[in-house]
Amino acid sequence: MDTFIQIVISGLVLGSMYSVSAIGLTLLWGALNVLNMAHGAFLVAGGYAAYYFGGYLGLPAYVAIPGALATGVVLGLLVYAGVARPLRKNANFETTVIIATVGVALVIENLVQKGFGAYPLKQPLSLQGGFNIAQTFVPWNSVLVCVVSIVLLVLLDFVVRKTRYGRMIRAVAQNYEAARLMGIRTGAVYRFVFAISGLMAAISGIMLSTATTLSPTMGYDPMLKAFIVCVIAGLGEVRGALIAAFALGVLEATVQFQLGVRFALPLLLLLVVVTLIFRPQGLLRKNEASRL
Amino acid sequence: MAAASGALLAGVNAGRAAEGEVIPIGAGVPLTGWAAADGIEFKRAAEMARDEINAMGGILGRPIEVFFEDTKNQGADNIIPAMQRLIDRHNVHAIINGYNTGAVCAEYDTIADAGIIYIHHNTDIVHHQVVGGDPERYFGIFMGDPAEYWYGEGLLTFLNNLKASGDWAPDNNKIAIITGSQNYSVVIADAIREKAAEYGWDISLYETVVVPISEWGPTLAKLRADPPAVIAVTHWVPQDLAQFMLQFTPNPTNSLVYMQYGPSLSAFREIAGENANGVLYSTVIASLRDEKGEAFNTAYRDRFGADSSPLTGAQVYDSLHYYALMAAIAGGTGGPGEFEQNQKIADRLRSMIYRGVMGTTRFFIPEQAGIPYPDATNDPSMGMPHQFLQHQDYTKEAELIAPDPYVSAPFKMPPWMAS
Repeated sequence: MDTFIQIVISGLVLGSMYSVSAIGLTLLWGALNVLNMAHGAFLVAGGYAAYYFGGYLGLPAYVAIPGALATGVVLGLLVYAGVARPLRKNANFETTVIIATVGVALVIENLVQKGFGAYPLKQPLSLQGGFNIAQTFVPWNSVLVCVVSIVLLVLLDFVVRKTRYGRMIRAVAQNYEAARLMGIRTGAVYRFVFAISGLMAAISGIMLSTATTLSPTMGYDPMLKAFIVCVIAGLGEVRGALIAAFALGVLEATVQFQLGVRFALPLLLLLVVVTLIFRPQGLLRKNEASRL
Repeated sequence: MAAASGALLAGVNAGRAAEGEVIPIGAGVPLTGWAAADGIEFKRAAEMARDEINAMGGILGRPIEVFFEDTKNQGADNIIPAMQRLIDRHNVHAIINGYNTGAVCAEYDTIADAGIIYIHHNTDIVHHQVVGGDPERYFGIFMGDPAEYWYGEGLLTFLNNLKASGDWAPDNNKIAIITGSQNYSVVIADAIREKAAEYGWDISLYETVVVPISEWGPTLAKLRADPPAVIAVTHWVPQDLAQFMLQFTPNPTNSLVYMQYGPSLSAFREIAGENANGVLYSTVIASLRDEKGEAFNTAYRDRFGADSSPLTGAQVYDSLHYYALMAAIAGGTGGPGEFEQNQKIADRLRSMIYRGVMGTTRFFIPEQAGIPYPDATNDPSMGMPHQFLQHQDYTKEAELIAPDPYVSAPFKMPPWMAS
């Protein structure tokens, strides 16, 4: 029984980390067709910003966390203004923006390394302690990551589906030119989505760094896992990302226990390959045309 | 401080000041990339040794200068060009490095073609095969520390000694091995597995984890289902190891926890906090806590700050000193293409017994790799100590608990274990 509880809890912890990583990635793709390869670096920037305000400057959490979130928003806007906007009129926008954001990721990672060094650091804003379920210890911090990831995805889904701005985003996502002709200020929509994506990434970066550790390369693994989640759920599928993240987390923990830790990642990648062959729009998206 | 080679080198230099033509020495170190923190220590140590050597008259009156090339994230694609640049651009007479991983000796042919001296600390068993397989071609290439293989057999020796001392009575004879997927971790894990039975141990679990790993739940579930006497984690990334301890200690098994390399970095203690207390680790290459080692540690921190890491820098410091000494005894250095002079220096290095801040450096012949004590010799004056350390107070540096005569504190039962 203890083993079963441990696997379920590990699966939920992994799932929450995957879902929190996938939020910004799936939003940008769903809304703007932008596959942001700098998403992992955005997480790094958010995590380090929280460390800078909370650990280095010693500011209280209620100042440090908003400071980090503001950093994420500014970063999102900068990438929009410096990369996405100039490339938007390019005929191969969806491809060129992938390459451009790889460059952005390298710049961010190297700036972080220059500023904070290569040594891993402890995120000072993490929650301490936890509780036991039978013999299994559950850290409060993991509970927080789990709750935040669910709240964020539900909130994002609500904004996209139920608000005026959400309708504008969906209109742009479905047909950019038609949305412009209907009077939607597409530039403002782009700015908004990039800002929200930066904000989500900052939250994700803080959450992940509290559950793991800060390092300039901490974004690679969440980026890979977020990509796996998004492909299996369907890129741009916000609700699906939540379901897929937790399902994959539990599956991974089960495989790690039953077969061995080393088999988990290959299995996830195999699932991606199978999904792309048999259902390229993702398991949870209705068809290839619909996004968000 | 009085350098390790001080009296000898000054004596060979016969009072000459370092005023002649500069001797270029190279260092290919990771100044950026994931190992940059260690690379900075290698650079600092080279500069410190350079200044001390030059203050003693350099090498037969010629000052040395150290030129650095960045090996970035290491691997053959970064290391080979860095070595080539040191030879082509700076005409270096020797290359003295800390560690670089991932090239698996691929840079050796670049060095062998130039015929210069190359001392590194890659802790790689492949070095034994390459240099031992063709000692004539690779005459100038030395690995200043013992290969990682010795971590495996050395751990088994340590465990049996600890058991024999009566300080620890294991519940059973099971060892659970958790390894990463990198060559370094696998070689050590395999060495433990292959030799375990010979030392009276059974392997109850051999688990390979994928790097990075932060959620250890499924692995811990396996350990709790069949608690071993020893958990040996040969995966080395400090933040991953710290996460293991954070998740292990709330519901521990009655097992010693040994971890590879990561606990030697301050990041491990910072992240794991008090959960680091009790963890064992070992190193085949670090400055000692004895008179000579502490003098170096103090001088290093005085020069580079309290946060600097002399334990890491020591490998480059010692090796640059003994290279200078052996080159002086051999009658001077040799540049690229000067095979005959560099052969003389290599001859001196092969027969050398050098007591530095890390203990004794002496090489296996023909492999030209460091000999570990007590793993391969029972004489502490004839091998580099395979140091076993234990975190006993996470706010301080670890205590050296074996081998004698270098011990700074006795072994303490980890706080999660029954006494």
